[in-house]
Amino acid sequence: MFLYKLYSFLKRDVLNAASYKFAFVSSFVGIFLTSATFYFIAKLLSGSQSEALSPYGGDYFSFVIVGVAFSGLLGILQEGLPGIIRSAQMTGILESLLVTQTNIPTILVGSSLYTLAFSSVRTFFHLLLAVAVFGMQLGDINWLGSLLVFLLTALCFLSIGILSASFIMVYKVGNPFGWLFGSVSGLLGGVFFPIAVLPPWIKWLSYALPITYSLEGMRQSLLTSATLAEIMPNIAALAGFGILLFPISLVIFRWAVVKAKRDGSLTHY
Amino acid sequence: MDKNKAVITEGLVKHYPVIKGYRELLLHPVSKKQTTALAGVDLEVNKGECFCLLGPNGAGKTTLIKVFSTLVLPNEGKAFVNGLDVEKDSKKIRGSIGFAISEERSFYWRLTGRQNLEFYAALNNIPRSQRKTKVDEVLALTQLEEAVNLRYNTYSTGMRQMLAFARALLIDSQIIFVDEPTRSLDPQAALRVRRFLKEELVSKQGRTVFWATHNLDEAQQYGDRIAIIAKGKIRVIGTVDRLTDGGEISLQEVYAAAMKKGSV
Ligand SMILES: Nc1ncnc2c1ncn2[C@@H]1O[C@H](COP(=O)(O)OP(=O)(O)O)[C@@H](O)[C@H]1O
Ligand SMILES: [Mg+2]
Repeated sequence: MFLYKLYSFLKRDVLNAASYKFAFVSSFVGIFLTSATFYFIAKLLSGSQSEALSPYGGDYFSFVIVGVAFSGLLGILQEGLPGIIRSAQMTGILESLLVTQTNIPTILVGSSLYTLAFSSVRTFFHLLLAVAVFGMQLGDINWLGSLLVFLLTALCFLSIGILSASFIMVYKVGNPFGWLFGSVSGLLGGVFFPIAVLPPWIKWLSYALPITYSLEGMRQSLLTSATLAEIMPNIAALAGFGILLFPISLVIFRWAVVKAKRDGSLTHY
Repeated sequence: MDKNKAVITEGLVKHYPVIKGYRELLLHPVSKKQTTALAGVDLEVNKGECFCLLGPNGAGKTTLIKVFSTLVLPNEGKAFVNGLDVEKDSKKIRGSIGFAISEERSFYWRLTGRQNLEFYAALNNIPRSQRKTKVDEVLALTQLEEAVNLRYNTYSTGMRQMLAFARALLIDSQIIFVDEPTRSLDPQAALRVRRFLKEELVSKQGRTVFWATHNLDEAQQYGDRIAIIAKGKIRVIGTVDRLTDGGEISLQEVYAAAMKKGSV
């Protein structure tokens, strides 16, 4: 029943996606432009290779594409779920879901599936384009490693999305938490540059962000031909975050639903 | 608990906090400003009756229905649906009531009527093997067979209302809650909805219909019993015959008096 429900959510969203052709085309154009931009930045930097890049194979373009492609996943999951919950609140869909016999975790995961699938395809395409058109250098890809890193990353980001959604549902105002987390991750998570270049006093913050481990693990799996054992510390850290964050986010969301039922804020009013 | 009662409330009170923006949230994080939607509601609805809750805008009708359908938690008092406590047995209640949410945007506009219902059927634990039968059954009941494969956004307001009933009927519930179902309908569509509720659901199938309305004629003609609610309190309750003293006074007069003087 659980899987059948998830399938029903996914089917609903695929059928309902009003402009998915346009969304695909426009986001792929965006991906192309981003890739091209970094291609030229990398070209500019190519003479002056930094020490900090050498653990990743030394090529800035490959480094940054992994960062940008996977942080896209972060943005979509973090802003996606709160957006979905917010609009469900405005339309009455949230109430129509909550009077059914489906529990809250299923509703949350089900509502995120389409966004997750869409952004995964995007990420994959981003990498593909970088390799095929811009000559991105890959190592011997560690498929299992990248799959594990990917799944755990999705779990962490989903949890953060659920936390943001809880905030929005109760307070009905923009969510400073998700925004802060997203921006800080961009700066400190190693998306555009290796965290090794950060001053030590701020680097410890990077280690508090799941995205740091995701990108580290992804770069190892895709760029440097690392073995599963070498990737394991990052996988373990991500698993730790996920095991902690997912249940906490569900508890908080459940609490938020109760609070919303008290305050009458399940609907737009 | 009386087994013949579909709904019972005892001293039900609901306050809503007054909505805060960022500014207020920061300045007065624990402000106690609130509006009272239900101010001590005592009510009993019998099984198998067409019960009309009549009252002006803002009287608390929607709030009361949402308490029954577990979407709003009361502050004080008790509410039971089919003998189940709305606070303690909310999960069981959701499996045994139908709340026809007629908010148009609560359906997926690009999906057909059938696709919409199939989605909600899955969420209501109807196994895949029975899904088609069940959906066909509620579509036939609501006379939407011809429109099943059309997208929801092509439906008329009347059809949308019928689809909301169809969604509520996916659960084999004894009691159906409807909230101003004829509000934005033309006279013909409204008649169809009223007849459906009264003749099909109540008379033929023996279900309980809990029907919130602000339309006096509707309540008078279709309600087996009527409760008049204003400012979160039930002012009078009874059959039309009793309320109007067997036709001595008009329901309009009863309503006007109830609005004016408070509890009777
Ligand atoms: N979600 C909500 N948040 C805050 N106040 C609300 C909410 N819903 C209703 N109210 C207030 O509660 C009172 C009763 O509203 P409602 O139950 O919608 O009445 P009715 O359905 O009879 O028009 C009104 O004063 C309304 O402003
Ligand atoms: Mg109302």
